[in-house]
Amino acid sequence: MSGRETILARVRAAARQRTEDDAEREDRVAGRIIRHEPGLVPRQGASSGHGRLTQFLNKLDQASASVGRISSLAELPRVIARELRKRGLPAEVRMGAEPMFRSLDWSVLKASIGPGRPVEPVTLSRAEFGMAETGTLVLCSGLDNPVTLTFLGETHFVVLRRSDIMAGFEDMWAAFRARGLDPRTVNMVTGPSRSADIGQQLQLGAHGPMALHVFLID
Amino acid sequence: MSAGATSAEFRANSRAALADANLQAALRGSRGGFVQKRAKARAALPEFDALRDEATALKNHTLAHLDHYLEAFEAQVVASGGQVHWAETAADARAAVLEICDRVGARTVTKGKSMISEECGINEALTAANITPVETDLGEYIIQLRGETPSHIIAPAVHVTVPEIETAFRAAHAGLDPARDLSRPEAMLKEARAVLREAYFAADVGITGANMLVAETGQTVIVTNEGNGDLTQSLPRVHIVIASIEKVVPTLEDAATLLRVLARSATGQEMSVYTTFSRGPRRAEDLDGPDEFHVILLDNGRSALLGTEFEDMLRCIRCGACMNHCPVYQAVGGHAYGWVYPGPIGAVLTPALTGVEQGGALANASTFCGRCEAVCPVRIPLPRMMRSWREKEFEKRLTPRGMRRGLGLWLWLSRRPKAWRFATRTAARVLHRMGRGSGALKRLPFGADWTATRDFPAPEGRTFMEQWKAMKR
Ligand code: SF4
Repeated sequence: MSGRETILARVRAAARQRTEDDAEREDRVAGRIIRHEPGLVPRQGASSGHGRLTQFLNKLDQASASVGRISSLAELPRVIARELRKRGLPAEVRMGAEPMFRSLDWSVLKASIGPGRPVEPVTLSRAEFGMAETGTLVLCSGLDNPVTLTFLGETHFVVLRRSDIMAGFEDMWAAFRARGLDPRTVNMVTGPSRSADIGQQLQLGAHGPMALHVFLID
Repeated sequence: MSAGATSAEFRANSRAALADANLQAALRGSRGGFVQKRAKARAALPEFDALRDEATALKNHTLAHLDHYLEAFEAQVVASGGQVHWAETAADARAAVLEICDRVGARTVTKGKSMISEECGINEALTAANITPVETDLGEYIIQLRGETPSHIIAPAVHVTVPEIETAFRAAHAGLDPARDLSRPEAMLKEARAVLREAYFAADVGITGANMLVAETGQTVIVTNEGNGDLTQSLPRVHIVIASIEKVVPTLEDAATLLRVLARSATGQEMSVYTTFSRGPRRAEDLDGPDEFHVILLDNGRSALLGTEFEDMLRCIRCGACMNHCPVYQAVGGHAYGWVYPGPIGAVLTPALTGVEQGGALANASTFCGRCEAVCPVRIPLPRMMRSWREKEFEKRLTPRGMRRGLGLWLWLSRRPKAWRFATRTAARVLHRMGRGSGALKRLPFGADWTATRDFPAPEGRTFMEQWKAMKR
């Protein structure tokens, strides 16, 4: 017997101590997967209206991420250039082939397209969703938003549409399914990278970004 | 399966740990931090305990139908272009890893933190095959440089002091300027970041663990704060996930339930920095990500626990709360437990996976204060299971002679009410007289070790039975 058959046979034998009916169990499992019903949703994950935005901004702050709000997408390159000057960083940014960015006028800074390289001072991505429950950004990897940009940039800029802010996991997964997304990775990001492995002192910027800044488009 | 394990020598290990000044300093530095943070997170979420009940029920449901969930998961991985390897034993898992590495001609392998990899001895196997494993979690990296094993499941280097880390870095990063200033933790973090960044790009294969496997989608899920696991799995050509069979959950909604209790129980965060769901290899048009995606499903004794008194243990989501709250762990640290899993979960898992001869002694590493069970996000009855292991240890005559005699004497007395009353009355009177004045005993007959660091409250002079009778009147 292969490892697979041996393992499954042992699991099955234990299950049969409870019930003989394998077919019934299989139906239950299939049903649960197809229905994928939400469990208990805490109030924190069920915000709405203006309260949702406020909560999202608060949670971002608690996670040591910063936010800038802009009223129209066209402003993005100039706002990014200004943010870079403010942070004393060179006017350069690395990004993917995100359609939302492609139509913009990037003449104010040096924008290059491609995956992450060993040294990336600033990277730019678009988040598919935000979650007000925990101040989390949800990014989908792909040609438009290479996953390495999320982890190799020393400063990571993330663009998010205000209408993409969800209350929590449940409405986010529902919207995710509705959009028919199937990326290699779904990356939930809550603040910049950190570690407390040296002397139990929390430090930002472990392997990933030292700073995370969100541009929220109203 | 348990090469190099020293769990059977728990008593000797503990004695050495208590006498180790450096270790005690490190333990003092970390003590309490996790406890406070978890308490704060719990207080901030009114539904926390209800979510623990949900998480417990969800895990029980999955374990009851584990065969079907594993098959569903496997089908999804295959549909997404990945491969599933079933490993009955640690040796099978090692063989699967080596076979993949060999086929792609791997020379270096980066690794995200994985307790399963520790359990299987993957690093030793890679090294023996002339492949260099590089641990990328900062804590794991530190202990790899020091030639140690983790002493905590989420803070593997919690036993290492800052000066010890500096020493390890200076020895390992010999190419760097010896005069550089490494006195501050920031400088050390920066140095490790630069060294490991090269490793990510150089690696041929990246190995990560998984906090969960989602049956609905075939995704594997990792939860980290550093981002090392993501660089480990996104830059090399091959991504291998090594996970044990009980990690599967039915749906994305179920994953959310576990995520809500995991980080809060572990570090007191509402959400860890990075939670990543990975499905299959890179898509055709992707600019990055691995060409191959492999999932190794490890059993290694777990399926044999299903349907037994130890099944509840398979709910464990490896948050570390039980050890953070354990007075014994906090006194002796993780290495005294002598194998991969320390603390209360180690005390029940080690004998289950390595045998009662090897791991049974760990069940005695408890005062039965019950804090582990009280904080466990999936409500595992850890003390009950430790008690079961103690019984098995006793039945197999593995308990030390002195302890067996003591228990035998106690058993003899407890079955003879008259003798019991006489013995307890005498003891209460004598100890009361000895402690007269202060109400406390500086030395206890047969308990000098206990009283070496604290006083024993002296009995009031009358036994429980005597007081009971007096009150009934
Ligand atoms: S036994 Fe419970 S508290 Fe301990 S690591 Fe597992 S889930 Fe966490």
